[in-house]
Amino acid sequence: MAVSEIIFVLAKGLLVTFQIALGAWVVAVLLGLLLCLARDMGSRPLRWLVNALIALFRSVPQLVLIYLFYFGSGAIGLHIPGIVAAIFALGITESAFHAEYYRGALMVVSPNQREAGKSLGLSGLKTFRLIVLPQAIPYALAPMLNSFISLAKLATLAAAVGSPEVLYSGQSLMQLTGQVTLVISLVIVIYIVFSVPLSRLVRRLEERIEVA
Amino acid sequence: MVIDWLSIMYQGLLVTLQLVGYSALIATAVGAVLAVMFISPYRPLRWLAQLYVDIFRSIPLLALLFFFNYVLGKYTFALGLTPFALAVVCLALNEAAYVGEVYRAVIRSVPSTQWEAGTSLGMSWRKTLIYIVIPQALPPAVPGTLNMVIQLMKNSALASLISVNEVSLVASVLVSENFMPLEVFSVLALLYLAIIVPLTLMSDRLERFLAVRFGLSDKAVTALRVREAG
Repeated sequence: MAVSEIIFVLAKGLLVTFQIALGAWVVAVLLGLLLCLARDMGSRPLRWLVNALIALFRSVPQLVLIYLFYFGSGAIGLHIPGIVAAIFALGITESAFHAEYYRGALMVVSPNQREAGKSLGLSGLKTFRLIVLPQAIPYALAPMLNSFISLAKLATLAAAVGSPEVLYSGQSLMQLTGQVTLVISLVIVIYIVFSVPLSRLVRRLEERIEVA
Repeated sequence: MVIDWLSIMYQGLLVTLQLVGYSALIATAVGAVLAVMFISPYRPLRWLAQLYVDIFRSIPLLALLFFFNYVLGKYTFALGLTPFALAVVCLALNEAAYVGEVYRAVIRSVPSTQWEAGTSLGMSWRKTLIYIVIPQALPPAVPGTLNMVIQLMKNSALASLISVNEVSLVASVLVSENFMPLEVFSVLALLYLAIIVPLTLMSDRLERFLAVRFGLSDKAVTALRVREAG
């Protein structure tokens, strides 16, 4: 098999990797925001529950959660595809970190801003949506982008439940062509080529936001 | 039934703890070397440390494990190295890239006046580092090290995919025998949580305590937060 053909197969796998990372990222953003808001505004028992959930999500190994969703759903007759199991497992574990990012970003916005909203007669939710959130977003941006890069790496775990992402495609290629060293090296090089410049870019963005 | 599973998984758990223990030792050592390289006055050393961190943070841990197992495994097997040893090395090399940056932030959190004090006493860069800066950097390095152990514990589950007989693999084998994935993997998850959640809470508490006690900057504290590795 020619190198160009191997790269073509890996590129198709990369597309699936991207889908998993993006899906998990969306789950993490939404769930993270929900957790953050519930912790900041909710009643005391709710806050306690959210803290427990965050500790839980931060502590469970992603692979175990993927197994639980994939094989567990199969056992109760609800056959979730590997990709979907990976998206939810990775998204849920990542959401705990997002909740922390959002809290950090919200803390940067001065409490005077909330008071200003209140004095204009805005409701709590409106103050949050129109005044606090827009000012907090820049501070959450860099960690959110970093989280996407980290999810793109974690997406390789989906190979364990047979999702045809880039590492799984690589494994099939190894069996097909026997060119083990070439294929796995290509996968590693692909990751380095993508994530080093992206991480650098995010770091520069981070520095600019800090200065501003 | 669950008691039987637990007694079977216990054997795997011992392997998991060994994996974490050995790789934590190596990762701490490599991370410390990286941190010193990062703050060294020699540009090539700083550059090398950055290269290491950039590369190892980019490679997904599972890809690294497969590389070691499939490519280097052919040669290392002849040397008597088991998949267990390969997994220890992979986990450590991967985690060192994260903990190295944490240690760098910790060393940087020592005020520069301490460096100047060493210089004014006629101490060399090396002596100042060893006798003045590092002793002060040790307490704030504790939560970051604890987070490293947590991360290694989570990451060690991946070793099951290169057939290291740790607790996740033991659970998978159990599932293939009794076809009760929901129950077995739930027990497995609870087992991990029983170990990791107390550690997480402890490191959070320590982090807050040290931030107050040593007046660490926000940035240093953020760097101590657990970082996700792929």
